[in-house]
Amino acid sequence: MVILKTTGLTRQFGGLTALSDVSIEVNEREIVGVIGPNGAGKSTFTNVIAGVYLPTAGKIEFCGRDITMAAAHEKCHAGISRTFQLMRPLAGLNLIENVMLGAMFGRNFSLAESRQKSMELCTFLNIGNVERPISSMTALEIKKMEIARALATEPKLLFLDEVMAGLNKDETLEMMDTVRKIHSQGMTIVIIEHVMRVIRELTHRVVVLEWGKVLCEGLYDHVSSDQRVITAYLGEEAEC
Amino acid sequence: MLLAAISLPKFLGIYYLQILNIVLIYAVFALSWDMLMRSGQLSFGIAGFAGIGGYVSVLCSYYFSINPLLSILAGSVLAALVAVLVGAAVLRLRLLYFAIVTLAIGEMFRIVIRNLEFTGGAEGMILKNAIFNGDAASTYWLSLAIGVLTIIVSIIFQKSRMRFALTAIANDEIVAASSGVNIFKYLVIIFAITSGLQGMAGAAYSQLYGSVTPEGQFSGSFTILPIVMALFGGLGSTWGPVIGAAILTIVAEALKLRIPYGYLLVYGIIMVVAILWFPGGIMGLIKKIQEKIRN
Repeated sequence: MVILKTTGLTRQFGGLTALSDVSIEVNEREIVGVIGPNGAGKSTFTNVIAGVYLPTAGKIEFCGRDITMAAAHEKCHAGISRTFQLMRPLAGLNLIENVMLGAMFGRNFSLAESRQKSMELCTFLNIGNVERPISSMTALEIKKMEIARALATEPKLLFLDEVMAGLNKDETLEMMDTVRKIHSQGMTIVIIEHVMRVIRELTHRVVVLEWGKVLCEGLYDHVSSDQRVITAYLGEEAEC
Repeated sequence: MLLAAISLPKFLGIYYLQILNIVLIYAVFALSWDMLMRSGQLSFGIAGFAGIGGYVSVLCSYYFSINPLLSILAGSVLAALVAVLVGAAVLRLRLLYFAIVTLAIGEMFRIVIRNLEFTGGAEGMILKNAIFNGDAASTYWLSLAIGVLTIIVSIIFQKSRMRFALTAIANDEIVAASSGVNIFKYLVIIFAITSGLQGMAGAAYSQLYGSVTPEGQFSGSFTILPIVMALFGGLGSTWGPVIGAAILTIVAEALKLRIPYGYLLVYGIIMVVAILWFPGGIMGLIKKIQEKIRN
């Protein structure tokens, strides 16, 4: 079943078209990878879907509902959640309180229910010692905490925006396991990623963006051998 | 502690009770300002809402002979209402833009009131009686009640989802919204509540003296002093602004008696020293000492 469908999604910033006529579908329980060179519009795509920016044109349907013009918090209530490319912990709250925020405002849980639910999520994601301040956490822990905060809103669709960025090899492997674990609970996931190994091993389907447009989409092997994709990443062969 | 505060009129003279009135009114201003600041919104509107509350309450008493306590409530409600209307229009602004608009609200009302006949123009209005006929103990209990109410509201907010919403908004609005926080709604609510408290304290102030004037009731020191008090006591806590208001009001009063003409200079130096050496205010200092003892 199609859970997310965008039609002709476009976003302009002044004269710059960051996203142009993007039409894609995400099916339930799928892991879709979104790749593309720097500036291709991957983050803008996430931000438009999550409501940080409203689209200039086009349509977003989620679970059969038109949510094109919904604000960020309404999109969260509808069931779309996301993490951020750069880590964005809330320094005024400690670890567990950061996670509780999602449960409290995403799902309207009481303080006690939110704490209970956040504890479960932290256990599920292997985050210990939950009353710590943010300043004592490692990058991997903060990233996991941000995923927990996103999951606490009980989303139907989870966007992971470059969740591997800044992690070393071992941490990347652990994070990939974490993503698999979340997916095994029935979550639909969209991964925006630069690390090809992550895309190859985790995703069912890949969408390639370039200059804000969909360059091609399909299975990893199909996409990675596409001449246009290779050109987009490596540049054209010089004529000799 | 509350019982001790209630029984103070048995032990203190009128002069000291009047100083405590000022301490409590300023504590309400400082704490309510800080409560809004916890959402990251800097307001220069304290004097504006104190002025609206004061004028509404005196007008109610003057023209309709309404019970002074009810008229204080009316002043508070109207200040909150103005905050909702203005907030709905300007709470999409941030930082200095928001701060300037809050400053402008007070100035607009001050100029309008100054030029209206039924508000007494530039001379203001005088009521026949001050509240409770000026009885020192009763007026003190009134100020105490408003002070305690503000403290209770602040404590409740610090223990409820309000704290999560405001902290998230102050830290990172995009994360807050993505986690489901309706930012605009929470900002309008907190702006209305803190403005209502400021209106209430302003109304009480006008009823304590039984008079209002445009310059006195919309006084710039209603805006500047509470901000300094909150900084001095420590931002983001319930007791910081209250302690700041108490210490600075009492110090100002003591200095006034000893150095009648130069006390503001000494007062200024105390503030500069406090902000340079204790940026976390008194609460920050206490926290540091606690941590040192623990280690």
